[in-house]
Amino acid sequence: MPRRCLLSAAYTDARIWEQRRPDPQNLAELASQMDRCYDRKFPVSSLSVARFVDNITSREEIDQAEYYLYKFRHSPNCWYLRDWTVHGWVRQCLKYGGKDKAVHTLKNKVQYGIFPDDFTLNLLIDTFLKEKNYKEACSVVEEAMLQEAFDRPTTQILSLYALSKYLAAKPELSWQEQRSVGASLYLAGLGRQDPVGLSAQSMGCAMLGKIEMSRGIHAVFRQMPLMWTHGYLGRSLAAMEKVSAGAGDVKLSKDVDLSSSTSSDTHEEGQGSESDTVGSTLTEEDEQERSKLPEYAKRFKELSSRLQTEGKVDPAGLEALASGLAEGQLKEAEGPDVAQYEQRVRDWEDERMQLIQREKESREKAEEERQARSLAKAVV
Amino acid sequence: MVKKKRLRLIADMARKIRAYRELKNRPRPCERFALDYDTMTRPFTGKRLPPLAWEDVRRETRLFSLLAALRVFGVGRLFTRKSWLEEHAEPCYWRVTRVKIDYTAENMDHGTAWGILTFRGKAEGAEREIDKAMYHDWRLVPRHEEGRFARFEPQAEQPVRCVPYPPLLRAMLLAQGAEGEPALPLARHVLLSKDYFRKQELERQGRKQAGTPV
Repeated sequence: MPRRCLLSAAYTDARIWEQRRPDPQNLAELASQMDRCYDRKFPVSSLSVARFVDNITSREEIDQAEYYLYKFRHSPNCWYLRDWTVHGWVRQCLKYGGKDKAVHTLKNKVQYGIFPDDFTLNLLIDTFLKEKNYKEACSVVEEAMLQEAFDRPTTQILSLYALSKYLAAKPELSWQEQRSVGASLYLAGLGRQDPVGLSAQSMGCAMLGKIEMSRGIHAVFRQMPLMWTHGYLGRSLAAMEKVSAGAGDVKLSKDVDLSSSTSSDTHEEGQGSESDTVGSTLTEEDEQERSKLPEYAKRFKELSSRLQTEGKVDPAGLEALASGLAEGQLKEAEGPDVAQYEQRVRDWEDERMQLIQREKESREKAEEERQARSLAKAVV
Repeated sequence: MVKKKRLRLIADMARKIRAYRELKNRPRPCERFALDYDTMTRPFTGKRLPPLAWEDVRRETRLFSLLAALRVFGVGRLFTRKSWLEEHAEPCYWRVTRVKIDYTAENMDHGTAWGILTFRGKAEGAEREIDKAMYHDWRLVPRHEEGRFARFEPQAEQPVRCVPYPPLLRAMLLAQGAEGEPALPLARHVLLSKDYFRKQELERQGRKQAGTPV
C-alpha cells in the first residue's frame, strides 16, 4: 500500500524554488570580500550572505556557509538576516546531504540565527520521517515547540505523527527529554479538537505533571514556552473531561494513562535524583501540589471508568490514530500551504531584486563621487 | 581691560580626541552586566550582588537570554517579571517593540529593548526603554496563554470613605462655620511623588527644546 501519510511530492517539490532568477557569484570572491569587511569592521549586508547561501554547490561549501552565517549573526546587522536566506540554507543542506548540519544549526539557533518558518520546518520533519529517523524528527519537532510554530495544521499533523512513532518504540528518556516530548505533545495537540489532539494534550500534560510532582514547577517551565501556574495533572484531567463531556464520537486513545504519573513511585525516584541537582528546594506551592496527588489518582480512575462505560476509549493507540489522521487530512491541509508558499516566494523575489537594485545604485553613486573627487584633485 | 585668553588649540584638540575616544570605547552592555555566577560578582565593577538576590539569579533568566532564542528577537511578545507576579494580582507585562542587540556578546545575551508597559492592567500609550532588563527575573508569556494572562476587567472605582472628625476638632470646625457634619475623607494626597518629579522633568525638557520665545 503506498504510504500517503507523508507530505506529497507537490509540497516538497523544489521546482518553485529552483525557478527563481539565478544570481551567479564566485563564492571565493564573496568570501574574501566578506572577510575584508569583517577585518575593517564594516557592516556586511544581508544580500552578500544570501548570495553565498544561494550559490552553494557542494558539501564543503555548506561548512563555509555555516561559518559565514555565524559571523553574520555576531555582526551589527544580525537582525536583518532574511527569511529566504534561512529557507535557502535548509533547502541547500537537504540537497547536498547536510541534514545533520541543518539540525546542528537549528539546535544552536542562538549562535547561527536560523529561525525557519513553518513551511521549512515541515520540509525538515518530512525528510526525517521519510527516512524513518524518528529521533531526529522529534528533535526538529522540539525546536518547533520552542518557537511555538504549531499554527498550521500540516505542522501539527506531522509533529504528532513523528512523536507518536517515536514513543511507540518506547525509548528510555531522561527527564529533560521527557519534558520536551511532553511539551511538544501538549502544544501540538492544543490547536486540534479531534481525538488525536485531545489525547496528545492529555498525554503531554501527564508527562509534564509527572516532572512537576518530582522536581517542582520551576523545572517544568524553565526555558520553555509553558505557563508557570501549577496543576499540569489537572490540565490533563480537564482534557479527558472535555472528551467525556463532548458530544459525538470523540474518542480518547487507550495510551492516555496517568497511573504512572500519579503513583507514588515518581515521588521516590524524584527524591533520589534530587540530591544531584544543586539546591532544588521545592517551594510551599510545590508541596501543596504534591499533597493533591492522591486526589488526582482518584479523579483519573473515575474518569477512565466513565469513559469506558460511555464507550469513548479508542482501542487503537496514539500511533495508529496519528497515522490515520495523517492519511486522511494531510492532503487537504497541504493545499493552502502550497499556495501561500508560492506567493511568499514571489514576495521574496521582489525583495531580492529590490536589494540588488539598491546595491547597484549605491555602488554607482560611490563610483561617481570617487571620480568627481579625483577630477577635483587633478584640477587642483 | 581683561587679559586676552590664550588660544590653546592643541589642548582643545586633545580634549576633543579624548571625548571621542571615550565615546568609542564606552563599555558595552555585555561587559557591564557580565556576572560571575560562582562568586556572584560583576567583573566590571567588582561589586557583589545583594544576598537576597542570589537564589533568583541562580534560578531565573535575564530578559535577553529569552529574547535571543525567539524569532525576530521576540518583538511583539509579552514578558512579565516574577516579582510583579508575586506582588500584584492584576496583569503587568511589557510588550516588546524594538530590540538593539549587543552583537559582541557571545550568546547574544545583552542589549537594550524598548516596549509598551501595561502595569496593573493599565497600558501606557508610548513605548519606553525597558528598564531592569538585566535583572534575573523575567518570564516569557506563552502564546496560547497570552489572552488569558492579559485579560483584565478594571473594577469600578470605589467611592472614598468618609469618617467623622475627632470631637475637639469637630467642635473647632463647627465654630469656624462649617455647613453640616464635617467628614474626613480617607484618601492620601501625596504631593511629592515619583510621577510629580517625572512630570517636572518632562516639562523642563519640553521648555528647553522650545527655547526662549522671541
